[in-house]
Amino acid sequence: MNARRNPSEERLLAYAAGVLSPPQAVVVAAHLALRPANHAWVRRLQAVGGELLDETSPSPLSADALARAMARIETDTGVVTAQPLLNDMPELPEPLRRYALGPWRWVGPGIRVRDVHAPRDGACRVILLKIDPGRETPRHTHGGVELTCVLSGAYATETERFDVGDFEEADAEVIHQPRVVSDDPCLCVAALDGQIQLDGWLGRLMQPFARL
Amino acid sequence: MHAEPSPLTSAEVRSDRMSPAAPAQDALKYDRLIEAVALRRDREAFAQLFEYFAPRLKAWLIKSGATPGAAEDFAQDAMLTVWRKADLFDARKARAATWIFTIARNRRLDMLRRDARPLPTPEIELAGEEVRRPDDILSMSEDTERVRHALARLKPDQVEVLRLAFYMDNPHSEIARSLDLPLGTVKSRIRNAMIKLRAMLELSEEAS
Repeated sequence: MNARRNPSEERLLAYAAGVLSPPQAVVVAAHLALRPANHAWVRRLQAVGGELLDETSPSPLSADALARAMARIETDTGVVTAQPLLNDMPELPEPLRRYALGPWRWVGPGIRVRDVHAPRDGACRVILLKIDPGRETPRHTHGGVELTCVLSGAYATETERFDVGDFEEADAEVIHQPRVVSDDPCLCVAALDGQIQLDGWLGRLMQPFARL
Repeated sequence: MHAEPSPLTSAEVRSDRMSPAAPAQDALKYDRLIEAVALRRDREAFAQLFEYFAPRLKAWLIKSGATPGAAEDFAQDAMLTVWRKADLFDARKARAATWIFTIARNRRLDMLRRDARPLPTPEIELAGEEVRRPDDILSMSEDTERVRHALARLKPDQVEVLRLAFYMDNPHSEIARSLDLPLGTVKSRIRNAMIKLRAMLELSEEAS
């Protein structure tokens, strides 16, 4: 496994444990849909979680706990229905199809963005980003961590190339300006955390994006 | 206390076939109970599941920092989800404890989100549409044992950080605080535990 284009072990563990923030979990879920080996590993980590739950010393329940539970199931009308696939982009990996999508917005030459209406976590939210061949994203830094997964096409940073399914974690130190190197537009899903600081003239155009 | 439910399910047929590596009967007990809930809305089976798993779910949440009251509410809600989703349980894909852990994990992720919009939370699907290969049933039945053996072969301090990583919302800093260790030590301990787990648990067929 190439450590650089995959989520870190810690992030996969946090995802398996259910403690990753929801926007980040959306991007990891998209990555896992495109990387069966990592998906299998997360499942195995869940088995570890199950085993640890099994080994946990039980904590006594209140006296009426079972009676309450039995009363609840008697009156329960909740049914589990398969979640309808909500959005208009069948090319997305299945975990992303469950979310409604905002309109595409033009945010700069060859760059379009649309919101993924997944749960937010404070300032952290999920977007789809579509960038034309040869274009660069606006040069930016971020206050927090930015997670990106490539859904189609490819981009490259100064040091690395990211293809379909590849996952990038960029933190506050990174000055980030990926360039699309595929012949077709590059579609990415990203969880953006913290304030994004845009450099240069594109910053003004990117205001709606930056103020999301 | 209660008669063992014995739904004549395909699970029984499966369990006969996997006898060489079959886990102890007890390990399958809870799988059967979930299947009984799924097949017959069996309340007795649900009560037994509740009595085993609810106190463990409560303990898990208390260790992650919830009050006993909130932890018990969480356990109640998670078990109601077990009742509702029992038909999605597939013993070939996950053992009972893993499945219930996953339900609880998805509920926690749901709780973590800070806005109240009614949106689906990303779930790890254990009940997808995949095509299973014939040897999956066997490999699934071996899984519990493999995981148990792997955990037994980790050092106690590695199991401890791993357990806390599964319990706590913000693993690294909270683990460091609760164990009174430097953050770097916690990080490297988790990393080493994960490396060992990978070496022991990752199947060669899963290599990318």
